[in-house]
Amino acid sequence: MNSLERIQAAVSFKKPDRVPVIAQVFGHAAVLAGVPLGEYVRDGELLARCQLQALARYGYDAVFALMDTSVETEALGSRLACRADSYPYVEQYALADAGELDRLAVPDPALSGRMPELLKAARMLRREVGDEVLAVGCVLGPMTLATQLMGAEKALFCAADEPEQFGRVLDFAAEVAVSFGLAQLAAGVHLPLVFDPAASPAVIPPQFFREFELPRLKRLFSAFKSAGALAGWLHIAGPAETIYPYYPDAGVEIANLDYCVDPLHARQILPTTCLDGNLKPLSFVEATANNIAAESAGLLETFGSRGGFILSSGCEIPPESKPENVAAMVAAR
Amino acid sequence: MATIVNKYVIEQVSPMHNQNMNRLIDVLLEGDQARAVAEAMSLKNGGVEDERIIADAIEPAMGRLDAKCTLEQFNLLEIMLVGRAVTGVIRALYPDAPPAPSRETVVLASLEGDVHDLGKNIVRTIMTAKGYRIVDCGKNCPVENLVDAAVREEASIICISGLITSVIPSVREVVPLARRRGLTMVRVVAGGAALKQASADTLNVDYVADSVFDVIRYLEDHPGELS
Repeated sequence: MNSLERIQAAVSFKKPDRVPVIAQVFGHAAVLAGVPLGEYVRDGELLARCQLQALARYGYDAVFALMDTSVETEALGSRLACRADSYPYVEQYALADAGELDRLAVPDPALSGRMPELLKAARMLRREVGDEVLAVGCVLGPMTLATQLMGAEKALFCAADEPEQFGRVLDFAAEVAVSFGLAQLAAGVHLPLVFDPAASPAVIPPQFFREFELPRLKRLFSAFKSAGALAGWLHIAGPAETIYPYYPDAGVEIANLDYCVDPLHARQILPTTCLDGNLKPLSFVEATANNIAAESAGLLETFGSRGGFILSSGCEIPPESKPENVAAMVAAR
Repeated sequence: MATIVNKYVIEQVSPMHNQNMNRLIDVLLEGDQARAVAEAMSLKNGGVEDERIIADAIEPAMGRLDAKCTLEQFNLLEIMLVGRAVTGVIRALYPDAPPAPSRETVVLASLEGDVHDLGKNIVRTIMTAKGYRIVDCGKNCPVENLVDAAVREEASIICISGLITSVIPSVREVVPLARRRGLTMVRVVAGGAALKQASADTLNVDYVADSVFDVIRYLEDHPGELS
């Protein structure tokens, strides 16, 4: 089995030759290559080269055409502060308030901000890995893009005070995600990861997720599936157990588990959904390779009989992680 | 301003000794700022002292929110809404100047390299409502500036909020620098999604908190010397 077949097997609960491993290596690929993170997230070709070098070094099962959480909001007019050694952040948000939404139009991914560079990375990665290794893109989920358009505090108060208006922001954010995700699929990714940390139950009540976020996520995953996405992969950090029951309805086929989630509990809630996780991200910085190996072995033991599992970290492997720790997770498979 | 989100965060509040106070507690826990202010002003205009409103409504409401957080049922939105409602009531009761802080001085920041401040701002709101004097050093704050502020403001507590792991080396510098600057009794507490993955030993701080209420419990359980 190659990496892609292995992941397809995990998603469909067939028996892979071994448990697939997806290290959530994003900016760490730049650090590994000695490239400033600030350049990595602006240059699609550089990003793809770094990803391929990291793949060659670690031998895991997926590469990522993923820059940071500011790509969409920059394309929509937010002003970013860019630094050489870290991810950019929003200095001035595109929307002063939700009432300004009508000013915005869904950006053309071929022309707007860094979206074309991300698409370039997607094309290069797919060209290089073909159907051997999973090529993953990334879009922000509607809730997270809303916070990136308005600022988290303003967005959350808007959600509470002006739910109808906020619903329009979420609809717009979902349109942006669909457009960008479809462009990534056309550029060659096997699936766009939907990254939506602001939809975590640590941030919003689960009932709010059900009523506001779930219908929009359905739209995303349905559109991506129709366009040929290998699977719907949702990444929501934090203690997300209370929203897992909604995942199958949303079209989620791979659910990311953060480190704070009990894998056995997640198994019970999502018996037919492939799970990925859930080593503690900070362990890749602070722990030893032996710790990582032991934790990984524990997860493989937990999911050995079930299948439907991808060994991974609970969230991004921090850029400053120790390479030997990433290697230890990959070796544990 | 009853809203669709607020209705989800309503919790049944058991009866208290005073029906009016009960109603204020209810609307505070709903995070309904406008109704909370109206209820509080109605109590005040009816002759209830400000201090009683704080003791019999705001404190119990915060206690109930704390209990929910302890049960891991909390979310930032709910805490923000309750915090905003409490702040609104206090401003309405004390329009000229807020009541003098009754507790210690806390300096608070997200450290240099970390530009996230949602969690930090929640800590500021809730700890202010609990009577602490908060000096907010903002986000992306160099360690030196944070410790300078602690010295200048005679703080007895330093709180650090962190959403990214790359600030951990800076977090480790806080206690040694504070000690060098003569803050021998200052307690340093860390929290936030990235920092709470680490132990207090790893971060070289006194405590790693799960939530703002966990910070407050720690400080109440480990009283320091007032500066």
